[in-house]
Amino acid sequence: MKRLLGLGLLLTVISMITFAAMNLLGDPLFNILGPVAEDVDNPDSVKLIEEAKEQYYLDKSLPERYVRWAGDFVTGDFGVRFSATGQPPVTDLIKERFPRTLQLMLMAQLIAVGLAIPWAVNAASRANSKTDKASTVTAFAFVSLPNFALAIILFYVFSIRLDWTPDVYTATDPFWGFTHDHKLMQMLLPALTLGMGSAAGYQRLLRTDLITTLQQDFILMARSKGVSRRKVLYKHALRPSLFSLITLAAINIGYLIGGALVVETFFRIPGLGTAVVEAVLREDFPVVLAIVMIVATAFLVFNYLADLLYGVIDPRVREKENYKESIFCSWKRRVEPVDATVEAPT
Amino acid sequence: MLMTYTTETEEPLLTLDDYRIGFKTERGLAKAVDGVSLTLKRGQTLGIVGESGSGKTVLNRGVMGLLAARNTIESGSAKFNGQELVGENRQSFWGTKIAMIFQDPMTSLNPVMKVGNQVMEPLRQHKGLSKSEAKQRVAEIFTLVGIPEPTKRLDQYPHELSGGMRQRVMISIALAIEPDLLIADEPTTSLDVTVQKYILDLLTRIQKEQGMSMVLITHDLGVARGRADEILVMYGGHVMEHAPTEELFENMMHPYTAALFSSIPHLHHKKHTRLSPIPGTPPDIVDPPIGCRFASRCAYAQERCLTETPPMTYDGDHRFACYFPVKTPQGQEALEKNQKRGHTASGLQIRKGKVA
Amino acid sequence: MTTYDEETRDMNEPVSEDSTELGSLDASLAVGVAPKKQLGFGFWLSTFWVVLITLLAVLAPILPIKDPTENYIITETTENLRGDLVEKPVQPPYSLDGNHWMGTDKDARDMLSRSIFGARISLAVGFITALFGLLVGGALGMLAGYFKGWADKIISSIFIISLSFPGLILAILVVALLDRSLWTVSITIGVLAVAPVGRLARAQTITFAEREFVIAAEALGAKRSRIIVREMLPNVLIPMATLSMLVVAIAIVAEGALAFLGLSVQKSATWGKLILIGSDINTLESAPWIAFGPIIFLFFTVASLNYMSDRLRDFYDVRDAYDLYD
Repeated sequence: MKRLLGLGLLLTVISMITFAAMNLLGDPLFNILGPVAEDVDNPDSVKLIEEAKEQYYLDKSLPERYVRWAGDFVTGDFGVRFSATGQPPVTDLIKERFPRTLQLMLMAQLIAVGLAIPWAVNAASRANSKTDKASTVTAFAFVSLPNFALAIILFYVFSIRLDWTPDVYTATDPFWGFTHDHKLMQMLLPALTLGMGSAAGYQRLLRTDLITTLQQDFILMARSKGVSRRKVLYKHALRPSLFSLITLAAINIGYLIGGALVVETFFRIPGLGTAVVEAVLREDFPVVLAIVMIVATAFLVFNYLADLLYGVIDPRVREKENYKESIFCSWKRRVEPVDATVEAPT
Repeated sequence: MLMTYTTETEEPLLTLDDYRIGFKTERGLAKAVDGVSLTLKRGQTLGIVGESGSGKTVLNRGVMGLLAARNTIESGSAKFNGQELVGENRQSFWGTKIAMIFQDPMTSLNPVMKVGNQVMEPLRQHKGLSKSEAKQRVAEIFTLVGIPEPTKRLDQYPHELSGGMRQRVMISIALAIEPDLLIADEPTTSLDVTVQKYILDLLTRIQKEQGMSMVLITHDLGVARGRADEILVMYGGHVMEHAPTEELFENMMHPYTAALFSSIPHLHHKKHTRLSPIPGTPPDIVDPPIGCRFASRCAYAQERCLTETPPMTYDGDHRFACYFPVKTPQGQEALEKNQKRGHTASGLQIRKGKVA
Repeated sequence: MTTYDEETRDMNEPVSEDSTELGSLDASLAVGVAPKKQLGFGFWLSTFWVVLITLLAVLAPILPIKDPTENYIITETTENLRGDLVEKPVQPPYSLDGNHWMGTDKDARDMLSRSIFGARISLAVGFITALFGLLVGGALGMLAGYFKGWADKIISSIFIISLSFPGLILAILVVALLDRSLWTVSITIGVLAVAPVGRLARAQTITFAEREFVIAAEALGAKRSRIIVREMLPNVLIPMATLSMLVVAIAIVAEGALAFLGLSVQKSATWGKLILIGSDINTLESAPWIAFGPIIFLFFTVASLNYMSDRLRDFYDVRDAYDLYD
């Protein structure tokens, strides 16, 4: 309960800051009406301005506007767009675009974890061998490659040279299938771009943790019991080593969202990322605000889920309820290890 | 080969001959085990005693083949059931012929796996039991080792059990394997004194009941006494002394054994008896001293000990590697000489009557 | 095919460097056989690249390289319809050759010198960001760590809020609303760096504030300001320096991302912008070098900074501080 309260507080503060920043720094009226907004000598324009002000609550004070917006927001109404028509409503726009970004994120995260686990297990079980050193170098390269660069490289190789994947995203269904017409193939490169960078980060972290685990007595014990190598690695060693990975995977949501802006723009996927870029350029504040809130909420929710996952993985955590007492407490604990890994900004 | 069947009962379970293990390090080869020979008869218990760093743990992990192959060099001969181990894959012994018990049951049980499953693993894998059969068998074993409410314990995690209970779980794993040889590496060191005796008695009882051979590794001569049939004292990778237990305690020949003995408390000590810790630290095994490895810490050390490695002297079942054994005329003479000059040949300061 | 045995034996290889597997059991084995710590060849190679690219960037205007703004149109002699020989310009972009080592763009401008001039802005953003993050974050973090109490609570809360903000969205918002000058871009990214840097500074300060020499200084009656400056700064500084390299790398990437979205420093061509120009499908298909040249520059710089930071952290054992829970 205390945790939820902290979560709500955090979201409120974030929305207030964003709301204030946008309204103080920008000129919403101009975005709605265009040049008319500055034509204050013309009575026709003045009339239009008055109407717009009323419609968008711009005649009200900033705190009042915030309260109105917040009231609508919690009921699922994200408001009217700051554009000449105000159509479609922000809620509809989000509804249309959110699923695509969600698909992209899920695919990226699956690719990242799916690649990182066998990669790290393989490297850790042969630590300091040539295989391991080669894979460390590879991981380092991927971590250091910005996702816009990776996007270009992948696009060049797989779409232009090999033509395995389509050049354009058409937003058509069905999802499953392996031709250029299926969304799966259209999403593949964007998801790979996001996923591979993350996979490299995950691999570095998991490898270190696995090496520590593999030096534990219980691994020696498992081997002396005659447990097969595969089972020792995947059953005995992997699970106790997953903590940092889960932490990173949750925090990485932020990185993935940042990456989605770039990747969606490059691959021309009409998702939340492209929506926010367009909205910022057009100073369409309600859209930006809605997306900022969705992103922040998703980030916090996934971090909360990560906490629950700790309990699933380690029975020792399950009992210590105070372990996840306040959001602030667990926050500090979680944010710390990221500093040690190379992260692109979110 | 024809003789195998007829001689099997007499044939020792484990025979080491000039067995060596070296680790490749940046400074050179670390000779952790340096020419150990021993035999372990079936159904018998061998105590291996020494300080930490004496090579006793490395010896056993080496025999078991659990050391990292890439930086380990193994040589000499080690025969298990007449089968040569050195240079061979020992995978097939794991979980079937040899079982191990480690020092700290907290770190040697997987913290995120139910203890029942951990005991079941060898049963399912090597004995081909079904899940329910294995579960039942584990419950039986738990009863055997004195774990109360066995069915409830099956579903608990290591952290929910006490140290003694955890060590019983470890013993259960060894029992599930039904090995020919059980290697117990400091099985009670991390436990409460009150539990230690129980666990040691349990181990001895099970070893007798199952007819297993056991290697009991400990730094405490007292633990080995009364439980081991023979005791092997190791120092710096060398065998210092080896004798049947009673013989060893009656006629301690090696100054190191004597020093070990007087560094631990004994019941017959008077109140407030001062224990005599062994001065100094174990030798550098990458670049070991020439001569006797114990010479730098030995009260009996003479010039000869610093230049020549003492050969193994055999006296029936009793063998030891020392030029100046305790309680022999040579030994007494050497000790008196050192006491008179106030220091040993290696420069170790001694006070009169201080060192046994 | 590898046999099972070989595979299984490999499992212990993490210990091969210093026998750590046995270290826990046989203390004497680990003593004196710990590997010597070295920064290694890779570190010096990375340093060389970073120094080189920095020098190139700083000295670009006086270096004998091609003018990044000039159009080096190549002409060729062809026969026209009437059979006369005429000089005709060749349609750029031109591929790599001895004259243009990295080819030219569509306006026949030399990509090598454009990349070097692009480094000026990209690196400037990186260094300004790191400086800002280090100064502000470092100061806040040290204050929080040293005084604790309310100061700590407030500063830590600011850090937490900042960390849960979608950073890139914030950056594009600010840049779009204000202007696209070098300083706006740098400071905006710098603000995002304050929280991570500050957290590390705070953690380090807490650790060091409890060390003997600080306690001793306090017991001797040293002034608080003096303690912070003389005793704690050098001890907090080493880990901060390694982190700041990381921040420079991250800032360069962030600027690249902004530029890629068309929202970075106007007028000048940063690496990100150069990559953007070369990234549309037609250009990629016909002249991939336009995008790949700057990508290589960017990649080597970011990788070098990352690697240097990684090695230094390892060398000075800073890693512990990163895992510090408070």
